[in-house]
Amino acid sequence: MVRSAGIEVSVPSGWDAEIYRREADFAPQSGTPGASRPVVHLGTFPLPQGRGDFGSGAVEIMSADDLLVVLFEYGPESVGTALFARSGVPRVAAADFAPNNMQRPIAGQSGAQYFFNESGRAFCLYVVLGAHARRQELIPEVNHLLAGLTIDPA
Amino acid sequence: MTAVLVIEGIAIILLALLVVGLLRSNADVMRALHELGAGEPGSDGSSRRRHRHQAPTREGASPDVAGSSLSGSAVHVGVSGAPHSTLLAFLSTGCSACVGLWEGLRTGVGMIGADDTRLVVVTKGAEAESESRLRELAPQGVSLVQSTDAWVDYEVPVSPYFVLVDGPSGAVIGEGSASSWDQVSSLMSQALADATSGRRDRLENGEFRADAELRKAGILPGDPSLYPEGPPQEDSEG
Repeated sequence: MVRSAGIEVSVPSGWDAEIYRREADFAPQSGTPGASRPVVHLGTFPLPQGRGDFGSGAVEIMSADDLLVVLFEYGPESVGTALFARSGVPRVAAADFAPNNMQRPIAGQSGAQYFFNESGRAFCLYVVLGAHARRQELIPEVNHLLAGLTIDPA
Repeated sequence: MTAVLVIEGIAIILLALLVVGLLRSNADVMRALHELGAGEPGSDGSSRRRHRHQAPTREGASPDVAGSSLSGSAVHVGVSGAPHSTLLAFLSTGCSACVGLWEGLRTGVGMIGADDTRLVVVTKGAEAESESRLRELAPQGVSLVQSTDAWVDYEVPVSPYFVLVDGPSGAVIGEGSASSWDQVSSLMSQALADATSGRRDRLENGEFRADAELRKAGILPGDPSLYPEGPPQEDSEG
């Protein structure tokens, strides 16, 4: 179990996880100047230090069996906008994944991105599969993880 | 006569109460000794270690390490179930024997040779460590978790202390104290060699590989072919 910034995740054994805060000045669509936004990283592999908010520095060391899940919170001004209209923590599906959904394409991998709102907060969920060819095996693990995600009201 | 009978009766009742009290006291002592593990194999204090090395199960797997990073983020390090081994280095800012180990981490001496072993430094929580000193000592590029719970979970007796966990099984395959990275490396290399040797000798179900091969060939325990010089003699009392 890891909990911070009103976000709680039941972390499966053997996974790495970190919840940290990103200064808004460095975050896309930053909100109130000086405010910081929570970022959650979950991986089936040792998360390296110095990685980017959307997994740069981590996706490069993923094996075909690995998964990376990123939850990035946006500012309160994003709540209620069309991009974040979807309510509730999403569940992922094989059809959502494509190699060109990656922030930076890496051979064999694929990604999917979901924007949603939950408890009056706006989030982006970004999932990377170590091997697109193994998406049918890997996706149930992601959905199991997402079922253990709790977000407190803003 | 009546007075004698009354006195005798009272004496019997008092003796009965005394016996009941002694039995109860004895039961309390026996219960306390049982809880301490006395009278069982390994009563030399090795009960904790025995528990760690028992056949790995999901229930008995070593716990993951959860705590906080130096920057204040909440972190969780996967130990059991990971495809690699993890070396947990329990270090402290207040321990003089740890100074050389911290220095070794900063200069890269503390990198353990095995490629598939991940090093994680675990200090106690902020309530028990000097934050400013930890910032000075903390190495770059090495996972560091502040977690008093991990010290409790792994029953760390002293600092510095090292625990090597086999990821796939979740079993502790080596642990001990060391004051230099050379000693740590030696300790863990031996533990890894022992664990690998054990894996080679046994199948996943714990059966000795040799026994399985013999069984497949139809040679079961007690088979005469195992005793070319005749069957072993039964031990006999006198």
